[in-house]
Parts: sequence; structure tokens; C-alpha cells
Amino acid sequence: MYGTNALRAGGFLVGNLFAALGGVFLLPRPAMAPGWADRRRARARRWLGTPAESSPTTRRWLLVNAVTGAPAGLLALLVLANIIVGVIGMTAWWALPAANRPRLWVDLRIDGWGDALGLGIPQVLVLGAVAQYVLPVLARAQARLLAPSGRERMAARMATLTKTRADVLDAHGAELRRIERDLHDGAQGRLVAMTMELALARQAVRDEPDAAEALIERAHASAEAALSELRDVVRTIYPPILADRGLPGALSAVVARSGVPARLDVGELGDVPAAVETVAYFTVVETLTNATKHSGATAATVVLERAGGGLRVRVTDDGVGGADESRGTGLAGVRRRVLALDGEVTVDSPAGGPTVVTVELPCGW
Amino acid sequence: MRLVIAEDNVLLAEGLQLILARHHVEVLRVVETADGLLAAVEECAPDAAIVDVRLPPSFRDEGLRAAIAVRRRREGFPILVLSQYIEQAYATELLSTGHHGVGYLLKDRVGRVAEFVDALRSVAAGGLALDAEVITQVVRRRDDPLEALTPREREVLGLMAEGLDNATIAARLRVSDNAVHKHIGHVFAKLGLAAGDPGHRRVLAVLTYLDALPR
Repeated sequence: MYGTNALRAGGFLVGNLFAALGGVFLLPRPAMAPGWADRRRARARRWLGTPAESSPTTRRWLLVNAVTGAPAGLLALLVLANIIVGVIGMTAWWALPAANRPRLWVDLRIDGWGDALGLGIPQVLVLGAVAQYVLPVLARAQARLLAPSGRERMAARMATLTKTRADVLDAHGAELRRIERDLHDGAQGRLVAMTMELALARQAVRDEPDAAEALIERAHASAEAALSELRDVVRTIYPPILADRGLPGALSAVVARSGVPARLDVGELGDVPAAVETVAYFTVVETLTNATKHSGATAATVVLERAGGGLRVRVTDDGVGGADESRGTGLAGVRRRVLALDGEVTVDSPAGGPTVVTVELPCGW
Repeated sequence: MRLVIAEDNVLLAEGLQLILARHHVEVLRVVETADGLLAAVEECAPDAAIVDVRLPPSFRDEGLRAAIAVRRRREGFPILVLSQYIEQAYATELLSTGHHGVGYLLKDRVGRVAEFVDALRSVAAGGLALDAEVITQVVRRRDDPLEALTPREREVLGLMAEGLDNATIAARLRVSDNAVHKHIGHVFAKLGLAAGDPGHRRVLAVLTYLDALPR
């Protein structure tokens, strides 16, 4: 791959030269700066492999980029152009009229094969070395100007945290309301019915034993229904198998009964907070259910590991991809639960697959 | 019939004893821990045991583990496991110790006394009694052969899982024996279970749902 690095770096720098020139005209209109900078960032990520971290782009960046980007871009342009001139000069000088022959080393005219090779080869080698070793360094330095400073990073993190904290409180509130509503509409209602059925049965027990028995039977059915509703609610709060066996044990059971043959890979997790365990558990249950129902996958992998002060859950399947959160409630439910813990969900599911669902859950480790 | 009971909840243990006494079942000993169960089975030589999944000291799944340990030690020893929740994984683990003389029911079922005692007797006689909830859970989760079953067929399968015979299922659903027979035929066909020993096929049908069959 010799040279691609140099070419890409050169390309980026030349692009930056135009950006610098354009930037000067944008100075009176700083609102255009962010879009401009984002395009340069995307280019830097594609050609230089630098992370495309966004930062608050301002007039300052336009100015700095104009001052440093223009000379660096010019240098890149000269280096690349003169490599081309060198190659043409070495090989095709004789085809050109004497007055228009290419000049090597800035101003030395080629008058024969001796000149062509003696001047051309060193020029191509020297400039090639500059392109290979200097341009990438310059390009990366230019790309760094696009990245946020330490302070900007901190400010952005604070803004994110403030926003996610508000989201977390909202999500948590919504979860509490859901539990309250589930209990109220389900078990509580059944128990109220049961007390009324029992009260009526007590009144009827002497005079109408048959009616009393029918009422007791209904009360019994209400009690069973209440128990069943309670079970369902408890499962959504903290699945009993988690309480019994912890996260790895509970997930082994989930993976074992998965419709898609699945493999579980759990690293050393240490102590995981119960709330995080629950969300991790539901993430795996829902994603495997989705894989079973929609993906046509033949295999799935579930990986849990500690990552950056939190727990990372990654579920991969080899199905058809195209997972769509709006289609099923499963992924949306996972997202809701993950957000309530200030976590992140990434769904990567191109058409044709594979689908990778990654959930990052902060644990305060 | 002579029993030992492993149950730490005093109310439930007493309720069980009252119910069993009325049905002429002798309770030899009530224990509260897994170790107590292992000891009681050795010392009292009961005909069967009723075991709660969660027992002290840690209230996880010691009861289930103890039940499995007993059955590993004494093949086919009849155990009826009771729990507040049904977990498919637990059903599968219990059945890995054999399909004879095993029961796994919700505690709620004790309230339906006659049916509960029937299930207990069937387990003690070497039968299989699984809670209908086991099937419900599988239905909720998978959409393979189950999708093909009608609600009525699922109901019949659930009752089969509880270890009931055709006549009892017919009585329970208030349909004719003939109708039950037809439903069961459809269930076998849809699950791809070839004709053969009907008793064995019943167990296979249930196991299909428990995912305990090799894929």
C-alpha cells in the first residue's frame, strides 16, 4: 500500500487549502462553520483514520485553519505536483518542444537523458519521501485542530450528562408509573373483586349455601388471577431467576432456550448492580427473541464484558439484518430501560446482516 | 402414602399438612433446608417428597438443587417441586433426572385441592406433572411448532403436561373423549411425532416444548 497514505494525506491537505480559502470568505458568517468543519472531519476519518469527534466549531477554527491550512495545503500541492512533473520529465521530456520542457529542481531544464535521469530520479525520491513521511504528520496535525480541546471535551461531557440525567429521571419516572399502573390495573383490581366476592359469600353462607359456594369459587379464581398478575409484574421488575442464579446463570438459561442456537461468553464481571443486571438480562431476552422472530438467523452470540467502568452486552446474529426499532416493541423497550440507567444502545443491522446490538451500561466501577 | 415436605414458610407447610391429612397422606417430617431434605429422605424412607424451590439460608434455588441431588442419588424417587414462579430452565433441569416421578407446579395450584392431590398421587406413582404455566411460557417465547397449534390444542397439551389422562382432560375441558383424542392426534402430527408408544409420545410432546430434545 506504499503511497496511499501519502496520497490521502496530500489529498486531505489540498482539500484543507480550499477549505482555508473558503473559510476566509465565511469569517463574517460563522454559522456556516460547523457544517464545513464536519465535512472536513468526515474526510479526516475516512482518509486518516482519526476519530470524527465533533467539537463546537467557531470563527476561531476558521481563522486557525486559514492560517495553518493554507501553507500546509500549498506545500502538499507543490510536493504532489512536482512528483508528477518529475515523472513526466524523466520519461517523456523528449516529446515536448524545447521551450516547454518540464523543469526539475525548480528551474533546471532537461536537455538530454542524462539530465532527465540524473535530476529526475532524485527529485521523485526526495519529494516521494516528503510525501510519505512529512505529509501524513502535517495532515494529522491539521486534523487535530478539528478535534475538541480538553476543555471543550469536558464542557460537552457536562452538557451530555445534564441532558442524560434529565432523561434518566424521566425514564425512571415512567418506569415507576408503569409498575404502579400494572399493579393497580391488575393485581389490586383482582383483590378488590375478591374481597367483595368473599363478603357476599359470607352474607349468603347460611341462607343460600349454593350461591355462597359459587361466590367462593369466584373469589378463588380472583385470587389466582391476582397471583398470576403479580408474577408478571415481578418478572418485569427483577426476574426471579436473576435473584436465584445471578446474571451468568440466568443468561445461560435464556441462551439455552433461545429459538436461534446461541452461544454465551461471559467474562469476569465482578459485582454488577441489580438494576444493571436486570437491564442486561432483558436486553439479551429481547434481542434473541427478535433474532428468532425476524432475522432468520442460524446462530447468535451473546458477549458480556466489563468495559470502561461499565458493563457491555453485545448480541450478534447472522440473520438478514434490517432490524427496525419502530417495527417491534422489543428493541424500543430495551432502549427505554437502558436510557433509564444512562446507558447507550447501538443497533448495527445493515440489509443482509449481520445484526449487532451493543448496550453499554454504566456501573460506577 | 408417606411424605416428607421441605418448606420454610410455616403457614404453607401447615396448610399442606391439613390438606394432605384430609386425603389420608401421612407427613413424616417437615424440614426447612436442603440438607434437612437429604437427611429426611435417608432416615424416613418416604414414598415421595414435596419441595419448595427457595429455601433458607440464601433463598435462591437450593430446593431445586436438593431435589435434583436426591434424584441423582435415588433414581426415580418421586419429588413434587413447588414454586412461586415457573422457570422453564428449572423444568428442563428437573427432567434431566428422568421423566418419571417428577412434578413442578406453582404454589397457587395447592388451592385447587383435588387436582393438586391428583398430581401428587400421579407423581408418587411414577408419573409426570408439569404446570400449564410451563407451556404458556414456551408459547410466549418461541414461534416454532407452537405457532401451528390452535389455542385449544395448546390447552390440551398443557393438561397432558400435567400428567392427566384423556378421560380427565375430557372432563376438565367438558368435551367428549373422542374430541380430546382428535386434539392429541393433531398435536402429535404438528410436532412431527411419529406413531408409536402413546405414553412415550405424550412425554415427547411435552419435552418438545421444554426444549429438552436434541435439535
